[in-house]
Amino acid sequence: MFKKILIANRGEIACRIIWACREMGIVSLAVYSDADRAGLHVQLADEAVCIGPPSAVESYLNMDRIIETAQTSGAEAIHPGYGFLAENPEFARRCESAGIVFIGPNSRALELVGDKIRARQTMEKSGIPIIPGMNHVAADTAEYTVEARKIGYPVMIKASAGGGGKGMRIVCSEEELRPGLEAGQREAKAAFGDETVYLEKYIEDPRHVEFQVLADNYGHIVHLFERECSIQRRHQKIVEETPSPALTPELRLRMGETARKVLEVSGYNNAGTVEFLLDRNKKFYFLEVNARLQVEHPVTELTTGVDLVQQQIRIAAGEKLSLRQEDLVQRGHAVECRIYAEDPGNSFLPSPGKILYLREPRGPGVRHDGGVYSGWEVPIYYDPILAKLIVWAETRDSACARMAAALDDYVILGISTTIPFLKEVIAHQQFREGKTTTGFIKSFFENWREKEGPEEWLTLALAAAALDELSPFQKVAKAAGTEEAVHSPWQLLGRWRIGEKT
Amino acid sequence: MEYEFTLNGVPKTIMVERKDERIFVHHGDKTLEAEVRVISANAFSFLVGGRSCLVIVARDKDKKHVWLNGRTYLIQSGREEQRQAERGDDRAQKGKSVVTAPMPGKVVKVCVAEKDAVRKNQTLAIVEAMKMENEIKSPLEGFVKKIHVSAGDLVDSEKPLLELEAKT
Repeated sequence: MFKKILIANRGEIACRIIWACREMGIVSLAVYSDADRAGLHVQLADEAVCIGPPSAVESYLNMDRIIETAQTSGAEAIHPGYGFLAENPEFARRCESAGIVFIGPNSRALELVGDKIRARQTMEKSGIPIIPGMNHVAADTAEYTVEARKIGYPVMIKASAGGGGKGMRIVCSEEELRPGLEAGQREAKAAFGDETVYLEKYIEDPRHVEFQVLADNYGHIVHLFERECSIQRRHQKIVEETPSPALTPELRLRMGETARKVLEVSGYNNAGTVEFLLDRNKKFYFLEVNARLQVEHPVTELTTGVDLVQQQIRIAAGEKLSLRQEDLVQRGHAVECRIYAEDPGNSFLPSPGKILYLREPRGPGVRHDGGVYSGWEVPIYYDPILAKLIVWAETRDSACARMAAALDDYVILGISTTIPFLKEVIAHQQFREGKTTTGFIKSFFENWREKEGPEEWLTLALAAAALDELSPFQKVAKAAGTEEAVHSPWQLLGRWRIGEKT
Repeated sequence: MEYEFTLNGVPKTIMVERKDERIFVHHGDKTLEAEVRVISANAFSFLVGGRSCLVIVARDKDKKHVWLNGRTYLIQSGREEQRQAERGDDRAQKGKSVVTAPMPGKVVKVCVAEKDAVRKNQTLAIVEAMKMENEIKSPLEGFVKKIHVSAGDLVDSEKPLLELEAKT
């Protein structure tokens, strides 16, 4: 087993990986940018090294610096988390040639699954169902037009190097095709430096169902069932759960076996997620492989009892998978909500800034994977994810009720977060009935605004604001120039009577 | 004692009387009675007719972020006009407009120059935060009076980006 691991990430996922290292007796080495010196991951890690200025390109994406840091600090392996360098074949290759273990798939498999067109070709050859569409790059617009006719409108334009909705466009008719192609190519070029696009049949209002898979270095592959991730905005997931309300045991078995096969034909090792679209007729299509630890991995951990990060580390260290498919079962139901620093009442505008107060929800079956704390200034430079709230309960209904209660208890003051929005998603009748599709947010939450609360609550809020002005601790703090760490309840001011002038 | 606050730009006035551990809050034509305990520097516990309610208050200059029953209120001390007068804020002045960023971020591009004529909703600047680019649009038709920032500058949500003057 490794003695020291460098964690090439920040925020909640870096903290999650550090926890795993601690439990395994591995020294954790955090790297951080100048903006993250006071970050939670730096506080939690055993060792920490600054790798550059705030801009991600100069720090968390700086391959040379990160590999050099691993070498000089004696880290034998690098865990990339998600985002940043997690799915970058070049980084994996550079680690390999520097003699450092990249905790993730080998660079060849990364390259294959990262190229959407090549991945489609490979899957089709192996009899894995793919969305009808092109498996090659067209020479010109005329060829795309022919292909689009063959597929039948509406079609979807997708970037071959794609991901995260970049370069993606729905085209409903032939007139829209040329401008759509141009915009898609421009966007793909800007996002990935590769303008290659292809066409696929547009599947209307599907479900997004993915399977977690683990593969060791010796060809042993198991799947850990599905995650339903249909609740998305801007092609980004915000609520995930498992089991999926849409799967029957028979369908689950077939999809799980297909997911295993996808990794097998890709020559894949370590943890991966196979994404499928499930249409209205419960027909499923291979979408892509996410070659990393997923944001939503905790729901799988809670229902299978498997620690995915520890498994990743063991596999990377060359251990054989001790899990056997026939031993794996799903127990109960888990739901995750992503807590973003965004203003849901204002087009999800980013909301960086100082967290003035944080109280994480607690209780039976509640897990909180966070990367922030009271007093932390959420920087403007990185992804707005603050934390993930995950609950487990025996049934889907009780898991939803538990999530609703936990969100009600969650306090983050100082910046806007997605908490009020998530509460209404979880409370929504369609969600409670398990009728979740990728069109859910657009159908029910377009231009969402938080509703006004009861008048009495407002009165109490104003009363608290008034009492706070009286609080002697405020005055002491003002005089001392600090707002923290003075505990002197306002009762000490003495008592006043009704009618007394102040 | 009377308190003046502003919530979402709307003035709110309450009267609070206190007798031992009880408070009487007059808000509009209603009076609410509650028993109060201070839990910590940030938290009050209210009992209103036997119902328990925890209230958390965090301060940020003249703003108070108040949380109760899963809901957050952003309450500003005093009245809006009063505060503007104190700040010497000329945003309210007729025909003139100071454009600020909607959130803290980095100026990626300034799309206009001083003295340029601008249309309503024309993009004036692009500010990026958390990997998302946000176009700052002109709230009026007129011309650019002054530009306070250039590409690469970090801005907070109150810093003026530029000043416009409306077409007369």
